[in-house]
Amino acid sequence: MILVTTDSIPGREIERVIGLVRGNSVRGAPAQADFHAWLENLVGGEIPEYTKLLAECREQALDRIIADARARGGDAIVGLKITSSEIANGAAEFLAYGTAVKLRA
Amino acid sequence: MSAREHEIEERVPSPDELAAMAYVDGEMGAKERAAFEGRLEKESALVREVAAQQRLAVMARAAAPREPIDEEWKRIEGSAVHRMGLPIGWTLLTVGGIGLSVWCAWLIASSSIGILPKLLTAALAAGFLFLFLLAVHARITSRPFDPYDDVKR
Repeated sequence: MILVTTDSIPGREIERVIGLVRGNSVRGAPAQADFHAWLENLVGGEIPEYTKLLAECREQALDRIIADARARGGDAIVGLKITSSEIANGAAEFLAYGTAVKLRA
Repeated sequence: MSAREHEIEERVPSPDELAAMAYVDGEMGAKERAAFEGRLEKESALVREVAAQQRLAVMARAAAPREPIDEEWKRIEGSAVHRMGLPIGWTLLTVGGIGLSVWCAWLIASSSIGILPKLLTAALAAGFLFLFLLAVHARITSRPFDPYDDVKR
């Protein structure tokens, strides 16, 4: 599965557009990590607990958009975008969306 | 080559492992995929195998290059101050939290308020504890199937 943020894939021809595909994920950190992150936030610098939380969420959203594209017979996703929002305090939400396409072999 | 490395190199993946790899990598045709998903509904061992392969796939994709600060974090986490300080801090916090909760419960129980508010407060606390334990149980049970736990950044 090829994932690109551009609208085309250099060197490959798009045979047909399948349509919008998406994958989202909402994940929270355990209370213990949240508390530790709160302490780290007081002194500044990177908060590894939240870096990890965002990365977990991002990878899960990407896996879900890939699964969606595969299930619909896509070879690639073009115009991939990832957006985030905060649905609950201390939780991370990522939505990945793009257009699944079938590439000419 | 050590004996362990030799053992890893010599090991041949089982048919189920190969099928789980193909499933995770999206290399199955629609018919084969549907049949495999039918097996997943019945075979918990296969579900575990898929989760393990998915974990590997996520790790391979999300493997972050090491940064100089990683070594410093490792050194800080390995230092005696950190190794002793963390358990002491968490133990004090837990003991304080439980102690305070018990004290509050005792204050409410021994207060002159009526039996109904006492029962309602007890129900509230018990309900919260019960739901919290259910959430903990669900997390512990589902954790082996969550391939994103090992993602670092």
